[in-house]
Amino acid sequence: MGRVKVFNSALVLTLLIFVSWHPAAAQAQQADSSKSAPQTATTTPEKYAGADACKVCHADEYSSWEKSPHWKTTLNTRQGPSHQGCEACHGAAANHVADPSNTSGLFLFEKASPKEINARCLVCHASSTEHMQAINSLHAKNGVSCTSCHSPHHATQAQFLLVKPQPQLCFSCHLKERAQFAMPFHHRVNEGLVQCTDCHNPHGTERPHQLRASASQDAVCFKCHADKQGPFVYEHEVVKVEGCTACHTPHGTPNPHLLKLSNVNLLCLQCHTASFANAPGAPSFHNQAAQFQACTLCHTQIHGSNFSSFFFK
Amino acid sequence: MRTQAQRKLVGWFALIAALFVPWTLRAQQSTGTEQSPKSVQSGDYNVQQSIEFGYRDSIIDGNINNYDTFENLGSGVRLFDYTLNMRSKNHNGLFFDNLTFSNFGYGGDPNDVTRLQIDKNKFYDFRAMFRRDKNFWDYNLLANPLNPASSVPALAIVNSPHSMDTVRRMQDYDLTLFPESRLRFRLGYSHNVNEGPGFTTLDGGTEPLLAEEYHYTTNAYRAGVDFRFLPKTTISYDELLTYFKQDNTVTDQNFLYVLSDGTPADLGIVFNTQGNTPCAVPIANATTTPPTATATCNGYLAYNRIGRPRGSFPTERLAFQSNYVKNLEMSGAIAYSSDEDSVPDFSEFMNSWTSRTASRGATTGGPAKAKRVSVGANWAGDYQITEKLHVVDEFRYANWRIPGMWATADTNLYPTPPAAPGQAGMLLPIAQVTPANFSTVCPTAPYNGPNCPQHSASAAADVVNELVSRFLAQNLKTNTAELEYAFTPRLRARLGYMYTSRTIADFNATFDTGEMYFPGGSTASATNDYLAARGDCALVAGALPAGCTLDPVTGIISEGSPTSPLPEAGNDTSRGITDIHENALILGISANPTDKLRLSADFRFGYNDNSFTRISPRQVQVYKIQATYTPISWVSIGGAIDIHENRDNVLTVNNLQHDRGFSLVTTLAPNPRVWADFGYDYTNFYTQADICFAEPGSTVFTTPCPVAGSPGPLGALSFYKSTDHFVYGDLMWMPVKRVTAMVGYSGSIVRGDTLFLNALQPTGPLDFNYIKPNVSLAFEIYKDLTYKTAWNYYGYNYKGIANPAGLAALPLQDFNGNNVTFSLRYAF
Repeated sequence: MGRVKVFNSALVLTLLIFVSWHPAAAQAQQADSSKSAPQTATTTPEKYAGADACKVCHADEYSSWEKSPHWKTTLNTRQGPSHQGCEACHGAAANHVADPSNTSGLFLFEKASPKEINARCLVCHASSTEHMQAINSLHAKNGVSCTSCHSPHHATQAQFLLVKPQPQLCFSCHLKERAQFAMPFHHRVNEGLVQCTDCHNPHGTERPHQLRASASQDAVCFKCHADKQGPFVYEHEVVKVEGCTACHTPHGTPNPHLLKLSNVNLLCLQCHTASFANAPGAPSFHNQAAQFQACTLCHTQIHGSNFSSFFFK
Repeated sequence: MRTQAQRKLVGWFALIAALFVPWTLRAQQSTGTEQSPKSVQSGDYNVQQSIEFGYRDSIIDGNINNYDTFENLGSGVRLFDYTLNMRSKNHNGLFFDNLTFSNFGYGGDPNDVTRLQIDKNKFYDFRAMFRRDKNFWDYNLLANPLNPASSVPALAIVNSPHSMDTVRRMQDYDLTLFPESRLRFRLGYSHNVNEGPGFTTLDGGTEPLLAEEYHYTTNAYRAGVDFRFLPKTTISYDELLTYFKQDNTVTDQNFLYVLSDGTPADLGIVFNTQGNTPCAVPIANATTTPPTATATCNGYLAYNRIGRPRGSFPTERLAFQSNYVKNLEMSGAIAYSSDEDSVPDFSEFMNSWTSRTASRGATTGGPAKAKRVSVGANWAGDYQITEKLHVVDEFRYANWRIPGMWATADTNLYPTPPAAPGQAGMLLPIAQVTPANFSTVCPTAPYNGPNCPQHSASAAADVVNELVSRFLAQNLKTNTAELEYAFTPRLRARLGYMYTSRTIADFNATFDTGEMYFPGGSTASATNDYLAARGDCALVAGALPAGCTLDPVTGIISEGSPTSPLPEAGNDTSRGITDIHENALILGISANPTDKLRLSADFRFGYNDNSFTRISPRQVQVYKIQATYTPISWVSIGGAIDIHENRDNVLTVNNLQHDRGFSLVTTLAPNPRVWADFGYDYTNFYTQADICFAEPGSTVFTTPCPVAGSPGPLGALSFYKSTDHFVYGDLMWMPVKRVTAMVGYSGSIVRGDTLFLNALQPTGPLDFNYIKPNVSLAFEIYKDLTYKTAWNYYGYNYKGIANPAGLAALPLQDFNGNNVTFSLRYAF
């Protein structure tokens, strides 16, 4: 624990230093107002045309934008025109208004790379709790940009401006998962009860597979399957160490209880064969042919127990 | 299940509906589609509402329990959808600017969901969700003991001993105050309840089927604040409090037999009389109602268990995100949780007979408590070295430890000598003795008086007081560093290295704080201290082992005390330490060679120097390739390869696993009136490992176990392979504006093989076809009023061996489910 305390102290100290050091730097930062504006936007207010100017030619886009949450950018008087209206995303448009063929100062999403698009959106959205771990986004690393899933002008879903509802949106790329959720045993994603984003944060998390965590930093599974969380006096160690996916395939499988194998005993015996210190071998009185079709017939509390080292009760 | 008359009624209804369709089509002029959103202006708000309700008729043939486990869609009136959208036209509503309210499933469907979002710019954003899901679960092959047909009697277990019919209700509420401001507050609350009846089983002389009433509740409170006073930097602090309580009760209600004195008895669900389970001749008299059980069989006369675990899970979390430093983007978090789960009042009572130990039951209790202390931290930084070159580093630290303790208070109950001729087994009275009254109730050697407990040589201690101490912990540190280079705006590549270090520690110790062995039994004699010298206190070279003390007055032998705890025999207090280090190479490419083609590829090659379980991989290979091609605007073709290769193929383990998936999808949308989507997925899953197991008398498995020192005399290469094909297609067609027709199909075709240890084991989920075609028709019968009718079929067709020779026959797994829905949708 000593090392843990040292590490925690160091991290907190680092944050404190960062915060305490910051005001001086912030003053310098405020002097350079260009830093708070989108990188590709020009910085002089004169070059901004205002949303009404855009409306003249882009009436359809204006109409859809006006009905969307992005309209609220027009209320952002604090950060100025670079954060307001159409130009908050598309950049200063005065030159384009003057000469419609001149798009040199604009940020054109259809021409931008995924990284540029993401950076553009995160100018405003980075601070939300959903996007704070965007650096870890596997989507971004694989060239999936914000506009791959969200469409400010052509969304079919009012909430989050999604181009498609879940799970169809996710199935557009995650083809294998579509097959998994069609299996007889599956989490009820197709039924609308559970959404992909209940377990995964598409914008990135620090965990593998962009998984969310439970409130107490444990597996996200425990939000619904709270009775499996414990902590227990007798932990089935693999549950906590390797996670639920040591035995289960979470999206869907042919096997009951989303097990990885069709036969429970084989699943257990693959670990409980006495060649490994961490899992004791099955005892000799467990006659596999005579009676015990499933280990869990007796070892019912297999996720953990407070009163039986053999997970009987 | 529908009666014949009901089916006719449904048939007539469908016919009338079918006749109604063309008439209506002729009568109406097409002016729009049923999908066109209608809105009305109400004050400052633009309001859109739609409601769809109707009737579903469900006609199921075959295994209804399987249908209900997989689908559980029944007949009745349903609310299929109700949606309300309100939007302030000038974004300045009185109480809110936007409101979205959606619902489906109410009226009896297994999934009922309500979602609500209300927001007012700058002031608040409120989201609420209610979900209710029914979990009927009765797939009879899970935990089925597979009783042989040769057993007398042959008892087929037609329902899963672990079936359940529970309901989960989940509520989530989240409120963000001042979402646009520099100081933002977040509040949240979740309330989850899962309750309902189910069944479970218990280990013992036989395995009884127990009724379990599930009830657990989780209440979670969230409070957070975001500080955005620093430019391009957000600091968040969250306090999370979760409380869990469980109030399950377990009782034996499965008394299908009586004893000769009329006492109800449960002989369990495992009937293999050739194997003496529950005994060689369990039924003494089959002509009585209910049948009379043999008293010396393993069986239960009463069982109940109750315990009320209470858990609290407080967590504090501090997180930040910053773009303040030029070209450097950072985020990170640190969190601390201190979870505690305690069960102060666990109580188990069983009145039973176990022939092996001559036990007449037991009581178990004692407080238990476990904690989980967790510290987690992570940091990620993305530094742009040049316009084309980034370096990304992600570090994660997770340290948790789980200490647990149980102070056991158990008693094992033993019978008195027979009080009447022929009294045996479950008919024997339970000796009513305690350490305090033993010398009065059973005063003299050889302790075989009418009220004395009678033990066998293998009987456990009469009183067990132990202190159980357990510990499990993991310390994980992982760092991933990646270089990302943009060769061109259309081609980026990543090269990375991941290092993970894990240390897993466990420690288990049990101490006797008062074990007592009462004397008495048919083989009691002065030389074995009248059978009090047994178990931990069995005589060694004619003397009691250290720590065991004989009370010369009562004849009771005791071991340990609260003030002088002794390590339990076989106590292994050594700490287990497992160190695992993983090194992995990461490669990634994302490319847009043309505007019409997008490609991405992700590869990972990892090696662990150790593994925690035999199936935890030492070698990991991941290959993911994804492509989307849009040759013309209305055609989209996608493909994906997703391969995972895991290996722990060291000596005596020989574990190989792969999960190989190949997928194709095509979407065609030539015009708004025609749309099609079809695809195919192929998945091949395989796993193998050397296993050892016991199977006395086997003629099938004769290979010596490859593991030296294994208690299992037989060894085999266990394997499981599943080849899954999934095909689907959907076609939407609007022949005229008012009519929308849809045809769809999805089918999962699964074929597999595995090692069969038990000859009575059905192939189960290895071989089946699960197909789900559907047809629907919607037409607008009046302005904004749409009639819909749909047919959904669910067909589970078992292709394997359902009832192997020798198995007490089980019901077939197949079912055919026809669901017809008739609904009206009104937009207003």
